[in-house]
Amino acid sequence: MLVADFEVARREFSVRITLEVAPGERVALLGRSGAGKTTTVEAIAGLLRLTRGDVRLGERPLSSARHPNVDLPPGRRGVGLLRQNPGLFPHLTVLQNIGYARGVDAGDARVAAQRLGLGALLNARPRGLSGGEAQRVSLARALLSKVDLLCLDEPFNSLDRPLGLELLDLLRRELEDSATSAILVTHQLEEAQAFAHRLAILHRGQILQMGHPRELVLQPASREVAELVGYRGWLSSGSQTLALHPDRIHPVGAEAGGEISARVIQVVPQGARMELELEAEGRWRGRFRCRSDRSATVGELMWFAAPGAPIFPAAEEPGTALSGG
Amino acid sequence: MAIRGAGVRVSTGAALFGALIVWIALLGPLITLLAHLTPASVWNALSQPDALQPLVTSVTASLVALAVIVFLGTPLAYLMARGRLPFPRVWEAGVLLPLLTPPLVIGLLLIFMVGPETPIGAALSHLNLTASNTFLALVVAEIYESVPFYVLGAMAAFATVDPALEQAAALLGDGRWRTWRRVTIPLAAPGLANALAVTWARAMGAFGAVLIIAYHPFGLPMQIWVTLQETGLSSALPYALVLLVVALPLPVAAFIWSAHARRRL
Repeated sequence: MLVADFEVARREFSVRITLEVAPGERVALLGRSGAGKTTTVEAIAGLLRLTRGDVRLGERPLSSARHPNVDLPPGRRGVGLLRQNPGLFPHLTVLQNIGYARGVDAGDARVAAQRLGLGALLNARPRGLSGGEAQRVSLARALLSKVDLLCLDEPFNSLDRPLGLELLDLLRRELEDSATSAILVTHQLEEAQAFAHRLAILHRGQILQMGHPRELVLQPASREVAELVGYRGWLSSGSQTLALHPDRIHPVGAEAGGEISARVIQVVPQGARMELELEAEGRWRGRFRCRSDRSATVGELMWFAAPGAPIFPAAEEPGTALSGG
Repeated sequence: MAIRGAGVRVSTGAALFGALIVWIALLGPLITLLAHLTPASVWNALSQPDALQPLVTSVTASLVALAVIVFLGTPLAYLMARGRLPFPRVWEAGVLLPLLTPPLVIGLLLIFMVGPETPIGAALSHLNLTASNTFLALVVAEIYESVPFYVLGAMAAFATVDPALEQAAALLGDGRWRTWRRVTIPLAAPGLANALAVTWARAMGAFGAVLIIAYHPFGLPMQIWVTLQETGLSSALPYALVLLVVALPLPVAAFIWSAHARRRL
């Protein structure tokens, strides 16, 4: 069980984190660039000093701001860190890289390499590897280093998306098999949802909301959270803002009691569906987008229902949900 | 559209011609040396009693100097390359100073610093050591003349090692020393070998400071100088050949090895 409650000073704002990760649990930290995601995992991995608070893993204190002599070096924490840069040692072969950590024997390294589909590359040097292969080697190396918690700092972001998701899936299964906890840092909701049991939304150094990924999408507590989990339309009425998610709004007939009337401005094909850009013109005003199975013509007036769409006061306080429609 | 005219391009013919001039200018003295030596004259000079003593003196003094330089200079160069020392400019200036000071002047200043009448000289005499006209003096002079070449070269070598790799090693459980041994040194090795090669050649050939502070015991450069003064050019030349033969193979081997090692990385 990781228990982290700490503060790390940064130039613009302090990163203040309170986070618990159960054994075998996977948590995703979702936030924009500069929100403090990397700072969080680096502090947990022991690469940064805390200005307040402490980090514990199980019974072991890892670092504590009050007791400066409690500061385990990165390699003794039982915490691994996988980054976007695979950080392979160029003077060692793939097999030597995989077996780099202390106490890993060559046999285990070979087995791990086979599992990750690197069997043919054991004697290759990192220079000759593709980006995906290099990340696989890095992944195998981190998994073999026998950590209790693996921090993942957008490890597959430099790879193309299908490959990145494939590796993330592979990693998820490996973590599941070894019952290892993990913290995934990402700015992509899709990745976070596919990987994590719980999702934490990080904004300017603070966790705004934490919970099951679906719960966060259905009930964002604030406009910042709503933006990060995919809400794109912001309609206003008086002092209220209605947040619309492209997947959670659908066209209905006027007689079916649609709450939002809007005129079609643009129609863009997206995959098998159409994305409509609309201008609301009833009680709610503003522009939004909606994915629809049927096409529409520009200028057409349509009615929409957005059951459960969150409403926030214009001043950004936690909102209440609109009663289902 | 292709980018044209970026930088000056030299045609193959001009490049070969230029290389020829450089080689003649730089290798000319070596060719001249070989042209003026006969096997008999070399044999004659080197079969004199004690003829090889200067060679032994030079090699041992240079090895000791090199050991001291590597032992102290490597950590210094690493800390400087990583920006871990306070007042980095002061350290840099300290390393550059012996490089910028003429060797003769270094020799004079060393007399004032470690000569018998100075506090350091007095401290050394308590240990039954003297830092003028002794083997120790020769080592000290060689260190002063060659240490900047090693520290600057090693600094450049360490700067090429990505700190992210050292961090990766630390995250995988290596302590500072283990990281150094398993990652930093192997990756910096080609550059360190080059630095070592240049330093060895400088230490073997050190003369200016040596002349002032360590006239005795004769190393090869002093032997060449004294022979030249006493019996003339032709008897000094065999020693010059010996100095070259001893001083050059290590650097040449180091350059070849490091070029090879770089290609693997």
